[in-house]
Amino acid sequence: MDAQLRRGVLDVCVLATIKSEDSYGYKIIKDLRPILELSESTLYTILKRLEEGKMLVVRSTEFEGRLRKYYHITELGLKRIEDFKNEWKELMGIYSFIEEV
Amino acid sequence: MTKVEFLNELRNKLQVLPKEDLESRISFYSEMIDDRMDEGKTEEEAINEIGTVDEIVYEIAKDTPLVKLVKEKVKPKRALRVWEIILLILGFPVWFPLFTVAIVLAIVFYLLIWVFVIVAYAVEAALVTWSVGGVIVFFLSLINGNSDLISLGTAVMACGGAILLYFGCKELTKLTIKLSKKIIVGIKMAIIGKGENK
Repeated sequence: MDAQLRRGVLDVCVLATIKSEDSYGYKIIKDLRPILELSESTLYTILKRLEEGKMLVVRSTEFEGRLRKYYHITELGLKRIEDFKNEWKELMGIYSFIEEV
Repeated sequence: MTKVEFLNELRNKLQVLPKEDLESRISFYSEMIDDRMDEGKTEEEAINEIGTVDEIVYEIAKDTPLVKLVKEKVKPKRALRVWEIILLILGFPVWFPLFTVAIVLAIVFYLLIWVFVIVAYAVEAALVTWSVGGVIVFFLSLINGNSDLISLGTAVMACGGAILLYFGCKELTKLTIKLSKKIIVGIKMAIIGKGENK
């Protein structure tokens, strides 16, 4: 897959894992495991990028005597998912056109 | 390897990163190991799943822009002492030319990689001009009443060569891009180095 495309898709995948409830690093990796294998370093880069883009906010919470970072999606993050879905709807239309020709 | 050893080695090898960035990465990996151990995995298993320190360093090198790495490497980790500043100023006539030469050399080496691509495109342009020119010369000779078949023949040959070379150019460009990407990651790894001694 083209690097640019892959990056965009991964961003939305990670956003999707925190869409309905806040999540933490290892849970995100586990939730995504059925569809793609994400390394820790890659996830770190994605989370940083999403945080800088204000698509999620991070909060540290105490968990069993240590700190665990929880990621919470923002309005901008939700909008990113919607935009992605709309883009793909358009693309799918083009795809079926190509298939039928 | 224990978790503490793993994180220490990682910290040691990533000294080049800004302190804040480094600590945030370390706490990220620390949490990842802890969460795996909470799931019932042993320390060893948890660390193995995260990957080796070198793999992590390599991935970070790929993701971090070269300019940022150079900046962090050059930036002193502590405030300069007075005598160091004086030495820097006095030494300016020495280090500045050396520094300039180093940068120019780096640019020259980078351009050198692209020389083959530039030459290939130049030859391609020459062949295209030749084939177009040859056909024009042929038609001009027809107007003058003598048919210059040699010009037409060479034009056809040049045209064939141009078509072949067109694909060669594309492949060569792709290869060169790949090569320069590899070189840049190599340079990044060299900047990160083996880590500073404790």
